[in-house]
Amino acid sequence: MILLVTILIPLLAALAVALAPETRAKSIAMLGTCVALVLGGYLALQFPWDHAGEFHLGGEKAIEWLPSLGISLSLGVDGVALLLILLTLLLGPICVAASSTAITSRRRSYYAWLLVLQAAMTGVFAARDIVVFYVCFEFTLVPMFVLISLWGSTNRKRAAVKFFLYTFTGSVLALAAIVYVAAVNAAIDPASLTSLERGLHPEAGRWSFSIDALTFAAGHLSSAEQALVMAGLMLGFAVKVPLFPFHTWLPLAHTEAPTAGSVILAGVLLKLGTYGIYRFVFAFAPMAVVEYAPLVALVCIVGILYGGLICWVQTDVKKLVAYSSVAHLGFCVLGMFALNGAGLTGSIFYMINHGLSTGALFLLIGMIYERYHTRSMKELGGLAAKMPIWSTFMVFFTMASVGLPGLNGFVSEFLCLLGAFQASSAWGSGLWGSAGAMKGATLGELGPWYALIAGVGMVIGAIYLLYMVGRIVWGKLVEPHAHHDGHDAHAPVLPKDLCTREIALLLPLAALCIGLGVYPKPVLQALEEPVRFSLRGIDDVRAARPVAATPIEAARVEVTP
Amino acid sequence: MQTVLAGILAATIGSPPEGGGDGVAHGATAMLLVPALTLLGVVLTGLCAAFRVKNKLPAWISVGLLAASFVIVLKTYLEQSTGVRIAHGFEWITFSLGQHNGGPIPFVANFSLYVDSLTLLWMLFVTGLGALIALYASEYMSHDVGAGYCRFFAAFNLFVFSMSCLVMADNLLLLFLGWEGVGLCSYLLIGYFYKKPAAVAAAKKAFIMNRIGDLGLVLGMMGTFVAFGTIQMVPLFDMISRGVDGAGQPIGGTWVEWVLPMLFTVGAFGKSAQLFFYVWLPDAMEGPTPVSALIHAATMVTAGVFLIARMMPLYTLDESHFILSAVAWSGAITAFWAATIGMAHFDIKRIMGYSTVSQLGFMFAGLGVMTSTGAAFHVFTHAFFKATLFLACGAVMHGFAGQLDLRKLSGLRKMPGWRIVALAMLVGALNLAGFPLLAGYWSKDIILAEAFVMNGPVGWILLLTAGLTAYYTFRAYFRVFEGPVEYHAGDDHHGADDHAHDRHGHDGHDGHDAHDAHAKAEHGHEGHGGHGGHGGEFHPHAPGWAINLVLTVLSVGCFAIIPLTFMGDHGGWVGTMVHHSTAHIEHAGDPALAPHGTFLGMDPHKVMYYVSGIVGFVGIAVAWWLHLAGRTSAATSRADALAAKLGPIVRGARGRWYVDEIYDFLICRPLWVLAHVFHQVDQWIVDGLVNLTGGLPRFVGATVRPSQSGELHGYAVGMAGGVAVLLIVVLLAVT
Repeated sequence: MILLVTILIPLLAALAVALAPETRAKSIAMLGTCVALVLGGYLALQFPWDHAGEFHLGGEKAIEWLPSLGISLSLGVDGVALLLILLTLLLGPICVAASSTAITSRRRSYYAWLLVLQAAMTGVFAARDIVVFYVCFEFTLVPMFVLISLWGSTNRKRAAVKFFLYTFTGSVLALAAIVYVAAVNAAIDPASLTSLERGLHPEAGRWSFSIDALTFAAGHLSSAEQALVMAGLMLGFAVKVPLFPFHTWLPLAHTEAPTAGSVILAGVLLKLGTYGIYRFVFAFAPMAVVEYAPLVALVCIVGILYGGLICWVQTDVKKLVAYSSVAHLGFCVLGMFALNGAGLTGSIFYMINHGLSTGALFLLIGMIYERYHTRSMKELGGLAAKMPIWSTFMVFFTMASVGLPGLNGFVSEFLCLLGAFQASSAWGSGLWGSAGAMKGATLGELGPWYALIAGVGMVIGAIYLLYMVGRIVWGKLVEPHAHHDGHDAHAPVLPKDLCTREIALLLPLAALCIGLGVYPKPVLQALEEPVRFSLRGIDDVRAARPVAATPIEAARVEVTP
Repeated sequence: MQTVLAGILAATIGSPPEGGGDGVAHGATAMLLVPALTLLGVVLTGLCAAFRVKNKLPAWISVGLLAASFVIVLKTYLEQSTGVRIAHGFEWITFSLGQHNGGPIPFVANFSLYVDSLTLLWMLFVTGLGALIALYASEYMSHDVGAGYCRFFAAFNLFVFSMSCLVMADNLLLLFLGWEGVGLCSYLLIGYFYKKPAAVAAAKKAFIMNRIGDLGLVLGMMGTFVAFGTIQMVPLFDMISRGVDGAGQPIGGTWVEWVLPMLFTVGAFGKSAQLFFYVWLPDAMEGPTPVSALIHAATMVTAGVFLIARMMPLYTLDESHFILSAVAWSGAITAFWAATIGMAHFDIKRIMGYSTVSQLGFMFAGLGVMTSTGAAFHVFTHAFFKATLFLACGAVMHGFAGQLDLRKLSGLRKMPGWRIVALAMLVGALNLAGFPLLAGYWSKDIILAEAFVMNGPVGWILLLTAGLTAYYTFRAYFRVFEGPVEYHAGDDHHGADDHAHDRHGHDGHDGHDAHDAHAKAEHGHEGHGGHGGHGGEFHPHAPGWAINLVLTVLSVGCFAIIPLTFMGDHGGWVGTMVHHSTAHIEHAGDPALAPHGTFLGMDPHKVMYYVSGIVGFVGIAVAWWLHLAGRTSAATSRADALAAKLGPIVRGARGRWYVDEIYDFLICRPLWVLAHVFHQVDQWIVDGLVNLTGGLPRFVGATVRPSQSGELHGYAVGMAGGVAVLLIVVLLAVT
């Protein structure tokens, strides 16, 4: 029940905001998000972290929704979902506070939509029924569409429409794949199952959209069917992530969105895609995942290098950070498709870390935009001379984004690369090549070469991020000439450097960046069991593969007398 | 060493590495205080910035904490200088990689320190020099008291923290944390004068060049984990000494023997500015001089040497020593190459920068010819004399408003208040030139002798380079400190950098401030013999007590370390330290096993003392003849005629052999163009296709249903409709 309350509170707050006077809108929204955050803290305390691989907190019994179709409002979170919910809830008050001076018109509807968005995002992660997931997943589009198209900058209409249509089209494909699996589940003949299976999966042979039931049904798919299911799901989620070449909506949406919109977009909405891949693609199509992992990894690597290089030639600083998400999430998905403990742990950790550091970068850019009404690096430069506090934060979060050890980004990036590196023994001898079940699993695996080429993305990451910092933080002070004739005549005058409110927004994010970088152990430990559970299906597929000696082992035999 | 290590390790076999085992000698926990204290320094100086402290408090905090760190290191050394001790901090990145063969596979990277004699050797000079240079910087940076001062010392402390993590790491990941951390501090400190475009560009270049090397280190680390199943030093060296990999198989194959050392070498070359990577280091001279002395001469740039020395067991797995001889060649070539550029430059700080690249080349050559003792000893002596040289250059820069051109300064030794600086410079120069019986002579001699024993051509290149080194060092000394007294103020006197800054009417706390420099100049002229270009306008300001004290201590230190050459049973004090560490090479110095190279038919061990001494003398003599004898002004000397005759060679060297331009043309430009191409492709092709697909239904729709609005509700209805249709289709299909 507590999960349901966590979803309902922002909705109730949204209702209250809509009914309240304009001037109170922000305070109510702040209250709503803060209560949700406190509830999030309570969730984290209640959650049995030792059994983070199983689903908890969903309440005793699911609420029936459409019984004839087996759709129920069933909720529950494992460690991964809970961490992402916590990220969502943390960004809630931050986004509200970040909007207080930036949003001056139609505040009621703005904060109402922001709260609705938060509820929808929480719902996505809390869903145990795939229809609930899908409804929430789609419903995030509407508030985001409104936020961009009403409070965005000059080109906002086009950006909003593109964002909506593109991601919507993608997710329809994902829906088709989901429905296909559900149909297969409904078509299972219960008589063909063993009594144990029947006991464990009462939904088999009936209409159901419970994730567990569909995961079981996926075992009845042939490898060709799984490939199709994977293709449908991947297309839907790849647009959301976004993976190259489905990313072109992102820079547009990011640049046009208001600051809070960008923060949510980068912080949480993109993670819906990676979460979807993690939760559904791995569960519904393990055979296809093993088979096509190198292909997906290749796409990721192209995205890392291509996105990174494009960042380098941007003049719009917000666009630069937006494109950097393409490169960063390439690492995230690459780690996931390494299909091993290190890669998958790193990938999930990456989702959180990217939300923190990139979210913070968007906040910082928003603060500059509020002061100068420009995002162009041609008009801005050398702000360290004028805004030392802002510059300190900027350099700090840039370093978190670059992946400096000791900060959070490094842990996840390293693990993703390590996962890709050690996914196969095809480049050398060693522990993995010679031991047990891993033996001979050479097909469909990544390897050191993937890590090497993706690693070049680390260098490119340093190039474009330092280029950005070099332009706007260091160098001679450059300011736009007439920044006082901004369009918001009523906007409150902001101080030269950051005000207390703005520092207070950034400090928790900075603290988390350091905390997760220096002591990531609690998170890594919490992810251990979910990752192991997710890999069970994959490992089963691998174990069923024919065993063949790797070239390296053959070589080793020659070396060893 | 092997027996010591094996004895310690014997008990750990079979016990989980993260538990530390009961057999690993725990202890040296006091060493944990070093990173703790320096981190405290970061926090305190940061707080100084937050509370807008406008005095020298950050400097005194830093000096105090660094001195305390030095005392801790010294105490640890005096208690026990040999053997390995693990000081366990806390668990950093530790988790199970999943079940495998019934047991969990641990990935363990703790914040724990691996303290052996190699660690102690490095830590002694890192903290010792760190404290001294912080004291020097307290005066040197005094024109920036305020936010800039705090920023400087915060980064300074962070640097020592990172360096101590690098040197004391008990696993490769923590080493990498330090490795990247020193890179960050180097970036922040090179770019300290952030209003100078050159400084910003140099900082960026340093970070990115380093990052390329770091990629090698990261991959090497991953490869190590794949091969050995651990990245912790203790089990790793244990496995290597037993000759087995993580699966219990005998080590073999190119993977472990060649690829891993090669990847580590790439990392080391990046950090230590060798071969293709050297171009960032001369540019790094844009940073404040104390930074150049500490980071870009004495400590950080030797991290590559440390890495290879630390991982020496891995390098010596390969019987043919292929990678090591590649390291030797690279070092020798870099040493020679950088020396040729150093001979032609006029900026004394840049000369010292190239000299550092060159001397690092010597150290790598030393590692390559398997005298890790020689390499470590040279790191140690170089740290002293190069820091002295840089700090003396810094004093000149500080006193003459940023003037570093050796054609615009002359005879400083004869000016009042400059005697200590001149003497310090002379001591440093004599060491660098390899003047007989000085510390730099002894350390260079070991490398030269071993080079002739192991690899003749490398030896000849290094010997030639030693001569060039003596020449360019004394060229700088004779021009600036000897000869007729003459000086011209540098750019900072005009405050050229700060025009934009002042125009915006901002309180100037950063960068060289014109008025400040002028005011200091007024204060500092207790009588001067200046009759330079600026006449009565500019007065150089002689160094104060802090700078003089540090220069005196370091100069005395350069002599004090000479006796260390003759201590201990294993080739001097440093040799003993190396002998008890992982850097020890089993058969080094054993004539029965080493190849018998000769120097013109003579035993290099016996004759190299004389040969290198003579070469040093020749270099100094040539410098004296060309740059001091008969020189009447600062700007011209006898060398000008020679330079005119050599024409293109001198021009090439002055143009740094156009390496930067070549890189720009071959790498940066194409990458930049590619990025633009990608950007255009993204806009017109990738996005164009999307728009085309998106436009198609709209076009169809527009013809069929012109009323389509493009508004939100339209799409929302469309979405609901789409979902409904799909559900109906499914329903129909099932029932």
